[in-house]
Amino acid sequence: MADTGPDQAAESYLLLLNEHEKSLAAYVYALVNDRHDAEDIIQSCKLTMWKQFDHFEPGTHFIAWARRIALHQILNYRRSAKRKPLYSTDPAFLEAVAAEIDRESDRYSARSEALEECLKQLPENQRRLVLLRYYEDHDITSIATETDRTEAAVYKLLSRVRAALSDCVTARLNAPTT
Amino acid sequence: MNHRDNIDRSFEGQLSQVEWDALQQAVITDPELRREYVEKRWIHALLETGSEALPSLFAGTAPAVAAKAPARPFLWLSAAAALVFFCATLFLMADRRADNHVATLIEAKDCRWAGSDLPTVEGAGLVPGTLALMEGMATIQFKSGATVTLEAPSILVVESAMKCRLVEGSVVADVPESAHGFTIDTPKMEVIDLGTRFGVTTTPLGNSNVFVFEGEVKVRQGDSPEAKHLFAGHSLVGATDPQPGQDQEVRRSEPIPSPGDDWTPVSTAIGLGRDAYVRRGDDHGPTGGHPLLMVKHTDLAANNERRALLTFDLSAFTPAQIRDARLALKMESSGLGFSSLVPDSRFAVYGIVEENATDWSEQSLLWENAGPLVDEALSETTARRLATFEIRKGSPNGLIETRSEALTDFLRLHRGELVSLIIVRETGEADKQGLVHAFASKEHPTSPAPTLWIQTAPAE
Repeated sequence: MADTGPDQAAESYLLLLNEHEKSLAAYVYALVNDRHDAEDIIQSCKLTMWKQFDHFEPGTHFIAWARRIALHQILNYRRSAKRKPLYSTDPAFLEAVAAEIDRESDRYSARSEALEECLKQLPENQRRLVLLRYYEDHDITSIATETDRTEAAVYKLLSRVRAALSDCVTARLNAPTT
Repeated sequence: MNHRDNIDRSFEGQLSQVEWDALQQAVITDPELRREYVEKRWIHALLETGSEALPSLFAGTAPAVAAKAPARPFLWLSAAAALVFFCATLFLMADRRADNHVATLIEAKDCRWAGSDLPTVEGAGLVPGTLALMEGMATIQFKSGATVTLEAPSILVVESAMKCRLVEGSVVADVPESAHGFTIDTPKMEVIDLGTRFGVTTTPLGNSNVFVFEGEVKVRQGDSPEAKHLFAGHSLVGATDPQPGQDQEVRRSEPIPSPGDDWTPVSTAIGLGRDAYVRRGDDHGPTGGHPLLMVKHTDLAANNERRALLTFDLSAFTPAQIRDARLALKMESSGLGFSSLVPDSRFAVYGIVEENATDWSEQSLLWENAGPLVDEALSETTARRLATFEIRKGSPNGLIETRSEALTDFLRLHRGELVSLIIVRETGEADKQGLVHAFASKEHPTSPAPTLWIQTAPAE
């Protein structure tokens, strides 16, 4: 450790960050309801990880280390006073959900690729819905207006799309590798 | 109540707080439901984090054809037309951000970035997004003409040509006539420019500080509709109320890595060790319990001068055993002052030779009673200059390690079990609002205390 210069440290940090960034982001989004909060936490987390990188032991599980730091940031997060939180969340709930993700860590990490394949299989109307909801970040009310459906219908359809994606991902991961 | 239905509803913000609380409790107590919640939530999270890639993902493949194959050719046609329309929509959607630059990164000096979602090369055009600067200093010119210099470590969210948000760190803004009204938002306050040069800092805990170098700014705090006007030479602090109970959960990070097996760490937290800093004028009383040791040198504002004092308990060693020694300090950001106003800085470590001078207490040490320790130039009879180290501009975090033969000799020849060192900054500043450097003290909740690493000869 004493022999690694600052340049080398920064390079190995950025390499590890690059490799695990997506997974870390998914972890934070899985625990934080508000998108803006999640983005702020992810950025703070990256900076904190860099500040503490001299405590990271090379060869150990980077993502596990990153998740510990992220959970700490989430539990201690203070939102800008001007924005009202959507929900207030119980720290015990966050701990329980975080522990469940850790328990199945490898399975969840593998999901990202499978999900891409499953998304490609969606029919057009469901793709449109996914784009409106996630890419355009529209809420249920405006999706209902744009797609000329009732809010209840949009809500049901979204749940169904997510359930289908979840089933498809599970099936892909359980399928014997060819 | 059906918790399973409520899982999906919670993602859409459709639950009341009462329903959400009930769902949370059920997830905590029911492992089966917890598994299901996490399964669903993970898909939702992946869609949210991967949303930027969705258009290109879909554009690359034709949508799955609906269950029944179309029976007539014109349906094929209309499907093809729909596809073309669909791809065009995607193209427009993907393109809508391209010509949307609100700022340009005009200078990026020795910068390292932590996976920012904006380009980080000099000259890059910036759309709204986040910049996370790990090291160095970067200057952004907004389309409005406002220039913002970002000092590491900082996170800045570029929102528009007239607005940005400082999540953490320090910026100095230079705002010309054309950009009056330029706003920097922080967790605690909103700073609206009225034609000035001003600086803003925000600590990871959300405390914010604004200082006006020239001209005037308007500051709006929290929910208060009342804006305060702040003029050149004045500053304003917005502090987050401490949340009781939370700070105790902070885990202390691991100790400073050992240089080798025959090295022993002695921190200021061990035995009769102590640490504190003194500030000329003693505005805030004794600092022995403060988590940061602040150090600053200035010829411009006498009362901003600060020095740190460290006492180590070496009773576990006999002086002759000592073969080598290193002093390790963990840098922290002080949240005070701006590093763009201070050049690369040199620090000196002095060892106190006058025996009575090591006899100080954290509860009562002040500049006023520190006697010869705070003399302008430390005299040979008070202290010996043992080592120096340099901290480069724009790198206010990281671990400092310093060693010298003079330090080792000093420890070896020292009489008494307690050794005291003084840390002074020798480099001054170009402006009164220059950076105050800080190191973690033994009271710091997460970072290691100042540590003297001692290498001893193997016992015969």
